[in-house]
Amino acid sequence: MKNILKLLLLPVISITLFYYTLSSNISPKLGLDLQGGISVILTAPEGTEQELIEQAVEIMRTRIEAFGDVQEPEISISGNNSVLVQLPGVTDQNKAIEALGTTGLLTFRPVLDSSLTNGYSPAFDYQPNPDDPENPLKIVPDGVDEIIGVSNEDNPNSISYLLGVNTGFPVIYELGPAALTGNDISDAIAVYPDNEWIVSLELKSDSDSKFTNLTKDLASKSGEQRKLAIVLDGEVVSAPGIAYDVDPNVGITGGNAAISMGNTDTGESANNLAVILRYGALPVAFERSSIQKVSASLGENTLQLGLQAGIVGLIIVSSLLFLYYRALGIVVIFGLSSFGLLFYSVISILGNFQGYTLTLAGIAGAIVSIGLAADSYIVTFEKFKDELKVGRSFQFAANKAVDDAWKTILIADFVSISAAFLLYILAIGPIKGFALALGLATIFDLFFTRIYTRNAVPLISNITTNPRLCFPIKNKDLQNV
Amino acid sequence: MFKNLFLGNTKVDFYKKSKFFYKVFIIEITIFVGIIIMVFTNTLDLNLSVDFTGGTTYQFDTEYSSEDISDVMNSNILEVSRYQTFENSNSIIFRATEASSEEEAQFLDYLSNKFNIPDSEIEFQRVGPTFGQEITQKGLRALIIFLSFIVILITYRYEFRYSLIALAALVHDLLLCFSIYLLLNLEITPSTVIALLTILGYSLYDTVILFDKLNDARKVKKQNNLNIETLNSTFNEVLMRSINTSITSVIPIASILFIGNYLGLSGALTDFALPLFIGIMSGTYSSIFVTIPFLSKIIKN
Repeated sequence: MKNILKLLLLPVISITLFYYTLSSNISPKLGLDLQGGISVILTAPEGTEQELIEQAVEIMRTRIEAFGDVQEPEISISGNNSVLVQLPGVTDQNKAIEALGTTGLLTFRPVLDSSLTNGYSPAFDYQPNPDDPENPLKIVPDGVDEIIGVSNEDNPNSISYLLGVNTGFPVIYELGPAALTGNDISDAIAVYPDNEWIVSLELKSDSDSKFTNLTKDLASKSGEQRKLAIVLDGEVVSAPGIAYDVDPNVGITGGNAAISMGNTDTGESANNLAVILRYGALPVAFERSSIQKVSASLGENTLQLGLQAGIVGLIIVSSLLFLYYRALGIVVIFGLSSFGLLFYSVISILGNFQGYTLTLAGIAGAIVSIGLAADSYIVTFEKFKDELKVGRSFQFAANKAVDDAWKTILIADFVSISAAFLLYILAIGPIKGFALALGLATIFDLFFTRIYTRNAVPLISNITTNPRLCFPIKNKDLQNV
Repeated sequence: MFKNLFLGNTKVDFYKKSKFFYKVFIIEITIFVGIIIMVFTNTLDLNLSVDFTGGTTYQFDTEYSSEDISDVMNSNILEVSRYQTFENSNSIIFRATEASSEEEAQFLDYLSNKFNIPDSEIEFQRVGPTFGQEITQKGLRALIIFLSFIVILITYRYEFRYSLIALAALVHDLLLCFSIYLLLNLEITPSTVIALLTILGYSLYDTVILFDKLNDARKVKKQNNLNIETLNSTFNEVLMRSINTSITSVIPIASILFIGNYLGLSGALTDFALPLFIGIMSGTYSSIFVTIPFLSKIIKN
């Protein structure tokens, strides 16, 4: 009775998990190669600091999310200096690749006006409407969105209307032509001297006078026009005002400036601004080492192929083993089906909670593992047969076979698991997915051998003692040996 | 015959045949080395995919004529180095050397206009030349660490000499697979590399199961050293498991190949299945016929 409970343990767990994935509508998270999209591998120069790569990944994430049409962008650091960017469902590759590869355009532009003055975009001009005094005429300049009043394209050389969300709510700024660019900055760093975060800015020596002239001009103004907008790729990331103690006749001199960031957070916004000032968009000049684009239809075909091959394989393997091992074949069919359900459920759950994506290589790993799992049964049954052959009783042979087979399978699976583990640690990209699928399947195989097969085979030997029901051999054959 | 095979009652004298298998092994290795030398002397072409050489590929499904293809090959937008078509499908692949993003975009437009398909349906892949190097380097590093680990493991559990035998079987399988790729001029992709690494695990798995069985037999018969009788009886018994296991392992992989071929798909999954197919067959062969001559040598000493 106790054995039957143990025997049922894994199938019950498998079915429960499978039921759970079905009822909560969880399915494996598909990799790019199975659902279409763009995958880019970026490589930083050898020896780049890990911290810089992490910062770059953060910046890329925000830039990609700004696209809007990306379902679940996945950006991860792989190896020492590579970044893997996966954009499922994205087809506009030029746009996507642009966002990743190039460092952004950073400009400094004087603020001419902003939506803070009268609550609507400074691009709009309202004229009295003689026909309907209640609804004044709205005049929108060319190249500006009619509804929100933001320039369609950021042109650094002419007046633009750009959006900033740095203050926590959207503000539309009217900006003059760029006065300085990111190339004029030599360094920027976030510091916390007196209970307040400050971004300390250092200019290149030949840009020094440009900055002084700009600040002289701004210091003579008041209100919104006293502000200097820092613009990255058409978005205002910050618009600090010039302090009131700056003399309009002198400006800010010495090639240094400090931007007060307040003390509302733990310095995150100050750090982010410093990074943007220092590097434009990305702190690292990445090389695009691989770009891969998979159309949705091809991805779907491949998935179909994988699934069909897997199911056909499972059916043929089960039938063959059933023909060979008869009653024991039932053990195999039941075991392999539970194995399949468990594998599917765990991959789905890992995808949902750990972000594991099932790729083509993963499916390949799974298909290979069918052979591995089937082999464990074969090893056990063959030992069983060997024991019968040397004249053991049915019961004894079954018990000894499962014990001996366990030792063999343990070491053989250990080799497989170590291979998978090493591959996982040392390899990059697709090989990782393969290694994980293979390793997982091998671990399941160990569990099934130890708990399921170990109890199932002796059970069969309790039910029947006729070898013909387990092997294509007769009692007579055994006695002849 | 089948009954004997199933019962493990076959009476093949493996020990006696060991010289023959040794000769076969030496001949095989000579051929493999010859093929590799031919690659180094450029008599045979190593067909590396774009992942290793760097460059771009464009793949799509369309109706095409041979004129269309020569038009594309002669288009002056970027340098198209070769193309590939498939018997069972309308898929076509163009390969080009590395070019600027603008040229690539222009070429995509050109293809999309020429074959009248939306450019989102064109599979595009671009790989820098360093990427392949990185895969190869990491793969080699993984291989060396893994092999040293295996030598330690087998030495610990069995004997040092056994680990060398396992390595011989392994090298045999890898070389066989590699040679077939070279001879048939099949394209070597990152999937092929993954498959080769899998063969490695598979080959060892098979060999380890065999060693375990030999070890058991020796213990049961309370022998300190392997002898001819144990060798013969073990290999006769293990034949059925080897055949069964390789059949069950090969079936799922064969189904990828056949279903893939039937659906006219030639992609990463079939790239993967072919070397595995060869490797598993070879692994089954080597676990018996490559180990026997060496085990026989151990007995002789």
